[in-house]
Amino acid sequence: MRVIAWAFLLVALTVPAMAQLPDCAAVPGWKQDGEQRAYEPDNLFDYMNGNAEGYNLYRFVGMKGITCKCGEDTIVIDISEMADPEYAFGIFAANRDPRQPTEKLGTIGQISPRKAVFVKDKYYVELAASPEKDHREALRAFAGILEKNLQGSSSLPPELSWFPKAGLVPESARLVPESVLGLRMLERGYVAQYDVGKAFVVRESSPEKAAEVMAKWKERIGQTTATELGDEAFTATDRYLDGLFVFRKGPYIAGFANLKAGTDVKQRVGELTENLK
Amino acid sequence: MANNPSRRTFIATGLAALPTAALATRTASAQASGAPVLKYRVLGKTGLKVTSVGFGCMITSDQSVVEKAADLGITYFDTARGYQNGNNEKMVGAALKAKRKDIVLSSKSKDGTMAQLEESLTQLGTDHLDIWYLHARSAAADITDEWLDVQRKAKQQGKIRFSGISTHGGQTAIIPAMIAHKNDIDVVLAAYNFTLDPSMDEVIKAAADAGLGVVAMKVMAGGFRRARPGDKSSEILKREGAMTAALRWVLKNPNVHTTIPSMTDMDQLDENIRCMDGTFSEKDKQTLAAQLDYIRPLYCRSCGSCSGVCPQGLPVSDMLRILSYADGYGDFRLARERFLELPTDVRSVRCNLCPTCSINCPNGVMVSNRLTRAQEMLA
Repeated sequence: MRVIAWAFLLVALTVPAMAQLPDCAAVPGWKQDGEQRAYEPDNLFDYMNGNAEGYNLYRFVGMKGITCKCGEDTIVIDISEMADPEYAFGIFAANRDPRQPTEKLGTIGQISPRKAVFVKDKYYVELAASPEKDHREALRAFAGILEKNLQGSSSLPPELSWFPKAGLVPESARLVPESVLGLRMLERGYVAQYDVGKAFVVRESSPEKAAEVMAKWKERIGQTTATELGDEAFTATDRYLDGLFVFRKGPYIAGFANLKAGTDVKQRVGELTENLK
Repeated sequence: MANNPSRRTFIATGLAALPTAALATRTASAQASGAPVLKYRVLGKTGLKVTSVGFGCMITSDQSVVEKAADLGITYFDTARGYQNGNNEKMVGAALKAKRKDIVLSSKSKDGTMAQLEESLTQLGTDHLDIWYLHARSAAADITDEWLDVQRKAKQQGKIRFSGISTHGGQTAIIPAMIAHKNDIDVVLAAYNFTLDPSMDEVIKAAADAGLGVVAMKVMAGGFRRARPGDKSSEILKREGAMTAALRWVLKNPNVHTTIPSMTDMDQLDENIRCMDGTFSEKDKQTLAAQLDYIRPLYCRSCGSCSGVCPQGLPVSDMLRILSYADGYGDFRLARERFLELPTDVRSVRCNLCPTCSINCPNGVMVSNRLTRAQEMLA
């Protein structure tokens, strides 16, 4: 008996808590249309074709989906599980409509007439409604149910607080899962848009690794000017990244890119340095 | 299966069988200076002259990479309404703004409506698309009169220059249907890579012979560029330049007019651009053959040949996929979970109790061994 109990416990511990799809009938007038869907990294392609690559980039683990119908109205609900909350936020930030405001839905969300997206913990949730009209009421009802069903944290990644507030384009900070600033050597990091350019932070595994990457970057650029900040810093001009102010502090490589000539970012870079603990 | 050559044979014979592509070179001086040499092909009856390596912008997150590609001379860029929820079109439009007149720009729409086209034009910041694709179709029935009508109107209004259809699955069904509509359809965007069945060569050739422009996607065989956790061979192949070998394999087919590999960084861009000038070498051939040898006994391509064949009722393709979660990605929990979702009678089957296995995989997957492993590991 004890063996069976342990076996159950083991299964409970090893099988991850999966996202729970809503009962379509939980919203009056709606009913399920067709079977539930489930996809993995290997076959997500069957569902969304090439767009699957964009999900796998954010360490997609699995998707569960359901379609709900009310008369002619349809809402397609998909819950994607990503590797961790940081990646879930990452795909949300990449896919949200930057022209529309976000709201507090789970960790963060966005509801427009035909679409609702939100993230909670490691889950990225998408609801797409058709036909063309304002479906916000139904979307909000389903999103509310989904949000309650999903377990886990509703906190934004603490990394977002790295970026100084002055001049920051609201909600522009996002995770770049690979090749930050289009440079393979900057494997993964955060970027945020400012009025004067783009701020970035890459956290390497150690100060030594960061120093190594920094040296490689300097070598790639060729002509750099050393400046005083953090453990080391330089300014340079790159053909595609324009003006650069880059510093290293411990395991972090950070700074500003796309700066126009003559832009003074010393204060903001100073704040950014302070925020990287 | 005498008419179904092995992948290794296919790669080897393919090299010899295909005629040399008639390629135009950008400048001789570029070669002399060590700069990448660009080669161009004509995109079928459209007459558009495009670089043989284009740019699939789908997963690019930094517009500087797209800008650099245009600066270096890449002339074909592809995006879609649905990529990154529309944000990709916006990024591509911003990146190519200054070069718009010099490049060929395509986008895709799932429903192919005029409203979707208008939205694409707005996001891309352009008044026309060079090619507008109906996105991801696989059946001849997808080519409807309504869609053809929208394409005609869009052309008449100058919002698109050429129309096309993109297809990932069922290519051997829809491409012949596109050929049948060659007066209305100009370009086919198809998945084409070294892992596909050799019959795709014939389909591609038929499309090119019919005058359709042929754009190849999934040229890296579905992203084996990106090493997945636990997939050591992918890491090894990444170092050995397998991705560029895969691209060169596609480029050696003159019936492919351009390619759209995804690129996320400037190093990939440099590597891919240099492929235009490279020939598919003996080393490339060995690299790809090694990859196929590695995946052949293990990797189910979901071709469907085994569907309904097992007398015990095993969903062979599903079980092989489930096993790949554990073996390929190192995710035992996921594999176990998916296995437990199979019906009880399926989970209780034991392949080692069958005297012989009735499944004979045309792609060389060792089905019986793999299923036995799945049952031992997951049941």
